[in-house]
Amino acid sequence: MTSREHQVSLCNCVPLLRRLLCDAPWRKARPLHALSRYFRSRVFPSKMAEEPQSVLQLPPSSAAGGEGLTDVSPETTTPEPPSSAAVSPGTEEPAGDTKKKIDILLKAVGDTPIMKTKKWAVERTRTIQGLIDFIKKFLKLVASEQLFIYVNQSFAPSPDQECFGSDGKLVLHYCKSQAWG
Amino acid sequence: MEEDEFIGEKTFQRYCAEFIKHSQQIGDSWEWRPSKDCSDGYMCKIHFQIKNGSVMSHLGASTHGQTCLPMEEAFELPLDDCEVIETAAASEVIKYEYHVLYSCSHQVPVLYFRASFLDGRPLTLKDIWEGVHECYKTRLLQGPWDTITQQEHPILGQPFFVLHPCKTNEFMTPVLKNSQKINKNVNYITSWLSIVGPVVGLNLPLSYAKATSQDERNVH
Repeated sequence: MTSREHQVSLCNCVPLLRRLLCDAPWRKARPLHALSRYFRSRVFPSKMAEEPQSVLQLPPSSAAGGEGLTDVSPETTTPEPPSSAAVSPGTEEPAGDTKKKIDILLKAVGDTPIMKTKKWAVERTRTIQGLIDFIKKFLKLVASEQLFIYVNQSFAPSPDQECFGSDGKLVLHYCKSQAWG
Repeated sequence: MEEDEFIGEKTFQRYCAEFIKHSQQIGDSWEWRPSKDCSDGYMCKIHFQIKNGSVMSHLGASTHGQTCLPMEEAFELPLDDCEVIETAAASEVIKYEYHVLYSCSHQVPVLYFRASFLDGRPLTLKDIWEGVHECYKTRLLQGPWDTITQQEHPILGQPFFVLHPCKTNEFMTPVLKNSQKINKNVNYITSWLSIVGPVVGLNLPLSYAKATSQDERNVH
C-alpha cells in the first residue's frame, strides 16, 4: 500500500482501536454485525436468528415427565450432525455453564414413524424415560408397542439417565418395536 | 422384510471379551466364566441393591444416608456377601446376579438372572415382575409369561429367571441395520444388554456407548 493508503486505513482503524481499548473488558467482545460499519461489506447476523422460532410451551409435568419439551424449530433442513459424535453425560461443559436445556435431535430408525418436529429443547433434568413417554404419546403408539432410544445409534441409555449432551446437543435415534425378550 | 441379524458363538465370545475389557477399565465388575470343559462360557456380574432402588456402595461406606449413587458410577463389589451389610437390614438388600449366555438355538445372547435377599431367600417371579422398570412394565404385563420366566441355567443347572430370546432379533435388527448403513461397527452385546438390561434392573453406564466408538477407531 502507498503511504497515503496506509494513512487512510489507519484513520479507519483508530476509532475502532480506541473503542476496543477503552471499553470495559466485558464489552470488548462485540457481535460481528455491531462492528460492521468499520468494514467495507456489511456482515449480517447468523441466518438462524432470522428464522421465526415457534415455541410450544407445554406445562411442566410433575409425574409423567413426558412434557415440558420446547419445540426449537419447525421442519428443519439444517444438515444433521454426524451421529458418531461423542456423547457425554454433561461433565464436559465448562463450569458455570448456565444453559439449562439440551438441544435434542430425534431420528427415526427402521419403520418407525418420523416425527414432524425433530428438534426439541429439553431440560437437563428430564430422564430418558420422560423422553420415551413423550415420543410415544407424540407418535400415538399403542400399549403393545415399545419405544427404544439410542445414542451413537447403538446404545440404549438407562431410562433413569438424565439428558446430557456434547456442547448442549444430543442426537438420539428412536425405534419402535412390538417385540420383547 | 429385513434380514434378521444373528451372531455365531465365536462372535458372541469376541463381543463379550471387548465388553469385559471396558468393564475392567471402569470397574464395572463383569467377568467371564468358562464352563467346565472350557468350550464355552458366559459373562457374569453380581450387584447389590437396596429394595427402595438405591444402589449399595462399596464395603466401608456408610449406608445410613442411603444416598442414591448415580447409576453410572462404578463401585467395587465385595466377593463375600456376608461382609457387605452393616447397618441396612438384611431383608432390604437384594443380591442380583446376571449371566449373559449364548443360545445356540436362537443364535442370540440370552440374559439369565437371579435375585435373592441376603439371608438366602430367593425373590419370586412376582417380585421380579414388580421390580421391572416403570418404563417397561406396561408392555411386560401384557404378556409376562412370554417375557420373563424361570428356567434351568444351561451351564450351572440351577433355576434362574430368563428374559426370553425369541424376539431378540426383532428389536436388534433395525438398530444393527441402521448402524451398518454408515459402516459403524457395533458391539452386539453392548447394544443388546443396554436394551434388555434396564428391564431387569441392570443399567449400563454411558461410557460403554463411547467404548464401542473407540474400539472401531482402533480397528480401522
